[in-house]
Order: sequence, then C-alpha cells, then structure tokens
Amino acid sequence: MLLEVNNIDVNIGAVQVLRDLSMNIDKDETVVLVGRNGAGKTSTIKSIIGLYPVKSGKITFDGKDITGLPPHVRATRTGIGYSPEDSRVFPDLTVEENIKLGIWLSKHEKMSEKDMEETIFNIFPELKRIWNRRGLYCSGGEKKMVSIARALSLRPKLLLLDEAFEGLAPVVVERFIKAVNQIKQLGISILIAESNVNIAAKVGERLYAIDRGEIIYAGDPMKIFQDQTLLNTIRGY
Amino acid sequence: MSIYIIFALNALLFASVLFLLTAGLNIIYGVMRIINLAHGNLYALGAYVTAWVLLTVGYQAFPGPLLYIVPPIIGVLVVGLGALIMEPTLLRPMYKRIEEFQLLITFGVLLILEDLFLLIFGPYPLSVREPYTFLGVSKIGDLSYPNYNFLVIALGFIVAFALWFLLYKTKFGIILRATSLDREMAAAMGVNVKSLFTVSFVIGAMIAGLAGGFIVTKDTAVLGMGIEALVLAFVVMVIGGLGSMKGAFVGALIVGALRQIGTAYFPEIELAILWLIAAVVLTIKPQGLFGR
Ligand SMILES: Nc1ncnc2c1ncn2[C@@H]1O[C@H](COP(=O)(O)OP(=O)(O)OP(=O)(O)O)[C@@H](O)[C@H]1O
Ligand SMILES: [Mg+2]
Repeated sequence: MLLEVNNIDVNIGAVQVLRDLSMNIDKDETVVLVGRNGAGKTSTIKSIIGLYPVKSGKITFDGKDITGLPPHVRATRTGIGYSPEDSRVFPDLTVEENIKLGIWLSKHEKMSEKDMEETIFNIFPELKRIWNRRGLYCSGGEKKMVSIARALSLRPKLLLLDEAFEGLAPVVVERFIKAVNQIKQLGISILIAESNVNIAAKVGERLYAIDRGEIIYAGDPMKIFQDQTLLNTIRGY
Repeated sequence: MSIYIIFALNALLFASVLFLLTAGLNIIYGVMRIINLAHGNLYALGAYVTAWVLLTVGYQAFPGPLLYIVPPIIGVLVVGLGALIMEPTLLRPMYKRIEEFQLLITFGVLLILEDLFLLIFGPYPLSVREPYTFLGVSKIGDLSYPNYNFLVIALGFIVAFALWFLLYKTKFGIILRATSLDREMAAAMGVNVKSLFTVSFVIGAMIAGLAGGFIVTKDTAVLGMGIEALVLAFVVMVIGGLGSMKGAFVGALIVGALRQIGTAYFPEIELAILWLIAAVVLTIKPQGLFGR
C-alpha cells in the first residue's frame, strides 16, 4: 500500500471532525472520497497532507510512519501533492511562479524546469497562454488547472485533489477527467474528494463514502447505485 | 534657490532612513503578521554597537572605505544575531496565542533593550563624528552640504533596489511572497514556514540595524532614539499600507518631504503635521495607499 490511514481521530477545537477513520490507496490507484457538504472530505485530505494534526491513529506512506511529519516535509520528501478545494493559487504570483514553486522546493531528484513544463503543458496546454498571468486574474477553471499543475510540480507519488470538478461546466468536467487519467498514466496515485456521486463513480476505481466524519462505504463505485439508503446519505437527502 | 535643493536633499535623507526602518518592519509583518514594536530598538542597537566599535577600537583602525563598511557591518551582524536568538525563544511560543500576546512580547523586548542600552552603554549619548566629517562637504550654490548625507541617501536607494530584486526576481523572494500571501498553502507546497519566519525576522532586523549603523555617525546613539524611530516608521506604514514594500518606499518619501516642510516652515507643529496626514490617509483609504 502507498498510503494507509489507520483509525484516525481528528479534532478541530472541541469538535471531532473525523472518527476512527481508515482508508488506503494503492500504487497507481485512483480513489474517490464522496460525501455531502460537511461530511469530512476536506478534513480527511488536510489530515493526510498534515495541515490538521491527528489526535489518535496513524498514517503511513510507503510503509513509513508520517503521522508526526509537518506538511512541508510530506510535500517535499514524502511525496504528497495537494490541490485544495478553492484552488488557493497565490494571487500576486504569476502562473509560472505558482507552478515553479514546487520544482524549487521539491527535495527528490529534480526534473529540469523544461521537462516539467513540458509534462504540465501536455496535461494542460491551456496554461501556455496564461503562463505569465497573475493568479489574481485567472478564471475559476484556470485556477483549478494551476492548482493541480502546481501540486504536480512537486513530482508527488500521491496527488490529493479536493473538489477538482466543482463549479466547472459539464464539458469542462470531461476535460478535467481526461487530465486526471493523464496524470494517472504518469504513475501517480490520486485521491479525489467529490460531492457529486455521479462524477465520483465515473472517475474512481475505488470509492469511499464518508458521512459525519466516518467512512460508511468502501468498495466498487458502481455498487453504490444499488443501495438507495446509502445514496441518499451521500447526496444529503 | 540652493536652499530648496538642500530641503529636497534633507527630505531624501530622512526618507532613506525611514524607508530602511519601514522596509524591515514590513517584511516581518508581511510574513509573520506581527507588528514588531521592538523594531526601533533594533535600529538603536545597530547605532549603539557601531558607535561603540568606533569608540572602543578607534576610527583609525579602519583605513579608507573600511571606516564606512566594517563598523556598521558589525552593528548589523550583532542585530542579526540578536534577532536570531529572539525569534525562536521569545516570539515563537506566542504564535499560537492571540495577537495581543505577540504585540506585548515585542513591547517587552523594546523595554528590555532600552534598559540594556542604559546598562551597557550608560546614560550619555555615544557620539563619533569622524566618519561624517571626513567626507567633507559639497557646494550647492553658496551653501554647503555634507557628503555623508549623500551616502545615506544612496544607501536607501540601494537597499530598496536590492529588496525589490530579492523579493521579485529570486526563488527565495517568490517563496517568501507566496508564504506571506497564504501561509497554510505555502506549507502544503513544501515551505518550511518555521525557518522562513526566523529568516524574515533576521532580515528585517538587519535592515533596521543597517540604518542605525549609518545614522549614528551623523547623529548620536542615544536612549529613546528607537522609540522615536518606531513612531515615525508607524506613520510611514500607515500611509503606505501594512506590509507593502512599495508603500514603504512612497510613504517614506511623503513623510520625508512633509517632515522637511514642517521643520522649515512650521517647526512647532512638525510632528502634528505627520499625524494629521496619517489621519487623513486613514480616513480616505484605511488600508493605506498601497495596502490591500
Ligand atoms: N476549521 C474548522 N473549524 C470548525 N469546524 C470545522 C473546521 N473545518 C471543518 N469543520 C467542520 O468539520 C466538518 C467537516 O468539514 P469538511 O470541510 O471536512 O467537510 P467537506 O466534506 O469537505 O464539506 P464540503 O463538501 O462542504 O467541502 C464540518 O461539520 C465542518 O463544519
Ligand atoms: Mg470540502
């Protein structure tokens, strides 16, 4: 297993946001985490990158315990790339600078800036046109591309995508799904947090459903459509 | 006519020192979101150490241009070392607390430094004029103007350019700006925020120390100089906008010019004019000219 999350509890202030949560991701696997708003998807992802400390439980990566490592070490040495739900592109930096941060900061054997640019332009040719634009002036969809490309520039083994398809027009969603498949071809494992069940089932090879901070389903994405109660919980009605 | 040229030069001179003070304050605020009340006393520390070196070793020990390089650099290094000790021991434990604690701890450092100056350097001003007088004067019309002042003016512009280059053209600067824009995201991208805090604090402090090291041979190192400087740097910061380097530059020029006009024409209300302008800017543009 590449990533193993074992029975983690996560508290924010007095609120417990994750309860005894376990999940794992294998090498070359694309996994989706689906759940309604407030279910705990973002909290799970932030715990994996290390932005939320876990109260109990353990997270291992490539067999190594990373539970106590700070986020910057997980990003540069462990090999976890993170694209947050609101993109969080650095507004004053150009697209190029946003993306090159990862190349500069990464601690594994480096890919040249040129090769990295090529890899990224292969996945998101749209970025070529806005390469010198400041983050502030990018559209929502462009910001998503920049955010994913920025995470890729760290050359991660695991890519965490929080709400990668949110707010995108249906055709653009298709375009992003294609990009996700291309990223997978690079040998990168992917965890996608998604609130739309249909999209989740479409991109995920394996699916976890989360509700109230607990995993309520793990397995074949297509099978969730056979369980109406489960489906209702995920959709939130 | 020449008197106006001298007024303009004095304005630039004052602006240069103010810029150096505010630039450091802004780097620290930009990255750490802390207003360092001890900043003026770090400037004073640079002044004291430089003067002390010149007085103890003797200015004769530094031949030629070394007189203008070695003593201030020693001052800057001592300030840098002080900052390097201060950030992890005194400030770091406060980051998780409410902001008032951070403000209070820097105020505590301000008081401690002030007492240390008294303890180590005594109650009387330290004065070393030689580096200042050695450079002679230039004739401007039928008036004369000290050449040393040109050096201080140049220093302000050189540091401004160097900072612009550092922040906008180097990898380190881009990483630093990213961190000041979104600390959490920067950490998730691999920035070691803890050590970047230390580095930023040390850089900011050293710029203040540099200003102190150069101003001391023109003025003196004296108790209370740090607080006076801090107050003026605040005016610049309020006018220019918190954390904005462009704001520090333009704000320093504005305050430098106003102060010169004040001293020349309304000496009784010189400081009041500055506060008035700061109040006007705050009313019209609360975030300052270049703040966000
Ligand atoms: N910083 C915080 N402070 C307090 N509560 C929080 C915080 N972050 C998350 N929560 C709470 O934790 C729960 C899980 O939130 P989380 O953001 O993980 O959900 P999510 O599944 O990502 O939702 P969404 O689909 O809306 O993004 C929610 O009830 C939320 O209110
Ligand atoms: Mg979320």
